[in-house]
Amino acid sequence: MNEKRHLGLKASARISNTLIYILLVIMSVVWLIPFICIVLQSFRVESTYPVGYVIPQKWGLDNYIALWNSDFKRWYLNTFIVALVTAALQTVFVLCMSYTLSRFRFKLRQGLMRLMLVLGLFPGMLTMIILYRVLKDLGLTQANAVPGLILVYVASSAMGYYVSKGFFDTIPKSLDEAARVDGATRAQVLWKIILPLAKPIVIYTILTAFMGPWGDFVFARYVSFGTSSGMNVAVGMYSWLSLDQIGSRYTMFCAGGVIVAVPVTLLFLFLQKYYVEGVTGGAVKG
Amino acid sequence: MASVKLTKVKKIYDNKVVAVHDFDLDIQDKEFVVFVGPSGCGKSTTLRMIAGLEEISEGTVEIDGEVVNDLQPKDRNIAMVFQNYALYPHMTVYDNIAFSLRLQKLPEDEIYEKVTNAAEILGITDYLLRKPRALSGGQRQRVAIGRAMVRDSKVFLMDEPLSNLDAKLRNQMRAEIILLRQKLNTTFIYVTHDQTEAMTLGDRIVIMKDGYIQQVGTPTEVFEMPKNLFVAEFIGAPKMNIMRTELTREGDKYFVKPFGVKLEVDGAKGAALAAKHAEAGEVILGVRPEHIVLTHAGEPGAIPCTVEVNEMMGSELHLHVLTEEGTRLIVRVPTIDLEGEERENMVNGHKLYVTFRGKVMHFFHPETEENLLN
Amino acid sequence: MKRYSDLEYLRLSKWHKFLYRLTSFFCAIPQALVNLLKSIGGFFQKIFVGIGTELSDLVLTFKNGDWKTRTSYLVMGFGSIARGQVLRGLLFLLFEAVFIFYMIFSGGYWLSMLPSLGKQGPAKEYDPVYDAYVTHYHDNSFKILLYGVLTIFFIIAFIYTWRMNVKQNKISEEILKSGKKLKSGKDDLRSLVDDQFHKTLLALPLSGILIFTVMPIVFMILVAFTNYDGTHDGFANSLFSWQGLKNFNTMLSWSGSGVNYSATFGEILTWTLIWAFFATFTNYFLGMFTAMMINKKGIKLKKLWRTILVLTIAIPQFISLLYVSKMFAKNGIVNGLLLKLGWISQAIDFWGSTAHSGLLARVMVIVINIWIGIPYLMLIATGILMNIPADLYESSRIDGASGWKQFTKITLPYMLFITGPYLLTSFTSNMNNFNVIFLLTGGAPTNSAASGAAGSVGFTDLLITWLFKITMGAESQYYLASVIGILVFVVVALITLVVYNLLPSIKNEEDFQ
Repeated sequence: MNEKRHLGLKASARISNTLIYILLVIMSVVWLIPFICIVLQSFRVESTYPVGYVIPQKWGLDNYIALWNSDFKRWYLNTFIVALVTAALQTVFVLCMSYTLSRFRFKLRQGLMRLMLVLGLFPGMLTMIILYRVLKDLGLTQANAVPGLILVYVASSAMGYYVSKGFFDTIPKSLDEAARVDGATRAQVLWKIILPLAKPIVIYTILTAFMGPWGDFVFARYVSFGTSSGMNVAVGMYSWLSLDQIGSRYTMFCAGGVIVAVPVTLLFLFLQKYYVEGVTGGAVKG
Repeated sequence: MASVKLTKVKKIYDNKVVAVHDFDLDIQDKEFVVFVGPSGCGKSTTLRMIAGLEEISEGTVEIDGEVVNDLQPKDRNIAMVFQNYALYPHMTVYDNIAFSLRLQKLPEDEIYEKVTNAAEILGITDYLLRKPRALSGGQRQRVAIGRAMVRDSKVFLMDEPLSNLDAKLRNQMRAEIILLRQKLNTTFIYVTHDQTEAMTLGDRIVIMKDGYIQQVGTPTEVFEMPKNLFVAEFIGAPKMNIMRTELTREGDKYFVKPFGVKLEVDGAKGAALAAKHAEAGEVILGVRPEHIVLTHAGEPGAIPCTVEVNEMMGSELHLHVLTEEGTRLIVRVPTIDLEGEERENMVNGHKLYVTFRGKVMHFFHPETEENLLN
Repeated sequence: MKRYSDLEYLRLSKWHKFLYRLTSFFCAIPQALVNLLKSIGGFFQKIFVGIGTELSDLVLTFKNGDWKTRTSYLVMGFGSIARGQVLRGLLFLLFEAVFIFYMIFSGGYWLSMLPSLGKQGPAKEYDPVYDAYVTHYHDNSFKILLYGVLTIFFIIAFIYTWRMNVKQNKISEEILKSGKKLKSGKDDLRSLVDDQFHKTLLALPLSGILIFTVMPIVFMILVAFTNYDGTHDGFANSLFSWQGLKNFNTMLSWSGSGVNYSATFGEILTWTLIWAFFATFTNYFLGMFTAMMINKKGIKLKKLWRTILVLTIAIPQFISLLYVSKMFAKNGIVNGLLLKLGWISQAIDFWGSTAHSGLLARVMVIVINIWIGIPYLMLIATGILMNIPADLYESSRIDGASGWKQFTKITLPYMLFITGPYLLTSFTSNMNNFNVIFLLTGGAPTNSAASGAAGSVGFTDLLITWLFKITMGAESQYYLASVIGILVFVVVALITLVVYNLLPSIKNEEDFQ
């Protein structure tokens, strides 16, 4: 009687595994479909408006050529510069903050962490207006949106210290102490001992800092305020999908999407292991 | 010259918790001093205050006559071996040991000399190019020692260096530390929770509990004349047997009556009690397991008990016996003293008689737990 | 409520135990709120006591200090210079000079205008040069508010620095009295890379946060008390002025000149909370489930599955979301496919249907958010799962636990413990998840009942997208946006505080160690 109810370890495992495989395949397809569609659509040349089918009837590079001839070039350059500079500076800021909070115990430490927690609860949108005005007065908007964006992204970036701090917390403090007994100043401890050990989190921070500006829509839009030469890719491409432009720009949007997504995705894949390490290691210890 | 002097040193944490109370100690140059005590007694905290890794709340620490309270660790000319070795994982053994020397901007030739010398003394020359993760616990320990050695510092601090090693390795390393001490000829301050390490390594031992110093003395002093009950029970393994009994006085002689059996406090101890005009009354009596001897029924001072557990240690038997009123005692009996049959009989339920002489008795005040003969 | 002892609790039936735990949880909430209020009260009390101590300290230092100290009360840095710490002294002096200079030439003006926010707005005046009526601009409310706030910050910074200056004098005196030496300029510089290194490291990042986050937030909070909007922009059109709590009244009152703000607010808030709840927990459990699936023994190509899913994190959201939004449009690919397959006869208006108050759109938004969120959650869950000690599972297997039991008794509690704080922050950040909603629907479909002077409100609008629309809308009602922003903050902060204190992570920390 019992043999009928229990399929046995091996058989039941095989069934559940098969089910899982099926589920995973379905999931993979579902997750990748939108991108496959975008790629396919970017090669469509018989029309430029949104259609109800996926596979192009006529294939060609028209959309990509159109990209090259449009403002897209400028937007891409803008976003790239912003991302590069932001990645560098933001990493410095975030690491300074997270290292300090992890290693030093000073009077205002708790208060500072609580303050940043509270500040983070405010909707970010709120400060947009005033920041725009400040930038405007400094002349860093519209055509000069790029330095303005960099300034804003970098300035408050240290508030995102949680993941890095979590990581630093896992490095034993006795290493710091041993180095100090050996004669190192705290600056030397950071530079010679801790940073070499923090490679994964440094790469994670650079990676996330680099990826951020590509997707910022709201603030970039506000700051560029209609001046095309100051826009980033998100803002520019969004305008292509507005009701009056979508007819002629839909396929260009897809092509643009491909051009934007590919390098970022490749970079991400390349550094994937650091990203994963950062998320799983630092994010949860937090 | 590298003496270390602590005067009224206190450590108070932010939440008003006092970790170390009024620590006074004078360590001579080239002395090997061990801080020992149970977890949380403040020994590591005191060591770290000497090193400069913890702020000194009150009191002064002097190294070589100079007050170092406000000096950074690197300016105190100390070297330290950490409990978990704290080797720099991304550097080779050579670089680990050379790190401090490079910070001092010494020429590479000199660094090479010093590092290879130390490596040879410690027997780790073969590992100089390896990274710490490729080393065993004992090897890492040696590298940590090597890193401290090359600094030619005035004081050598060690924070429970052997705690992470297995028993066999620990014994081996203990001997090596003694050898090291002879070679280095400098002042050592060593922290451990293991009383065996303290006894074997230290010139003097500082026993701590709950942030207070319980006793400072040579191994012999703390073993033979423990200042209070805590020290008596902490030093020596197995623990000293403790019984509450009455001390009676008849003229110049003193008597105790543990478990209904009257024993005279004879010899030097009795004379000492008399010299102190010790009052009769309730007293805590302590006798070490190795000092209790087997005797026979009918002999004077024979205390009857039953064997509960018999631990065969090889050269000794550790007998856990139960007296008639339910007190447990541990008795160490050399196996060589037992004839074959006697040895077989030492099983659960076997009745035997034990006794002890006056000279192995320790007396403690029933409330203050201080040694009556302090 | 009856409290059971441990032994009594063990004897209860399973159902009874559950009820007991549930009621205990809810009964604990009022106490948690009371504790919260107490701690806030204690916080203010500490501030008052602190101020009192500072003041008395100031008086004492003056009384007991020597002439160098006393002069430093007026001339900052004097004591330091007089005692040989030239570098420090000069820095203090410089700061004082800059401050005084600023206050005379700029700060004084802004401060004085702050209460009124400008007296003279733009006006058409006769200009003899052009022989016509030309608009002349005068006061600028915006600048007054902005620089006024900045000036106040500056004053606070000055008071703090002045206080530090006094304190240093006192400490220096004590050091000299005890016979020790003072730190020289070189010592100070050296300590900046050693024991004071944290100050060096934090200098830039903190200033950045101060100027670009704290100051704007303070400014926007103040705006909520004005009537700053498109028409009252403070300069070009007309000045704006203080309104007191009027805006809050308007927002929260039930009646109000035809536009029922509070009802709109309530509706959007409800949807925001529902959205945040579903967005967070669907992603959480499905992400965990996915991670467990991939992590299962016997599943091959683990890295491949994970990589495919993780790919979606790399692609910028505006591309994926915008495109997906178009995919589900009336003339989009999904409808095209469904029509072709004959499954439907008419294109489904995913984003438009106002039937059932845009329910379809709301569901779609949650579903698509799952697509965005699972990969990230899967990563986190994978990391945690790998850290659960294997012997927990082994011993439970020996005890006879099935897979499901193991999940509910080991995996789930462990995950919840570790990610408790993360869930909370995930919830609150989903409440402010602008990108997903805006890029997918822009807030559509329109909720005509709730719209009005508040701008066009949609069924999928979150408080934050509503805020955005109000800001970017025709009337640019900044003050309204500020009010909403503040209210959002209050809601989020309350939830965070209450839940954080109730989280098992805080209470049962030892259980898992």
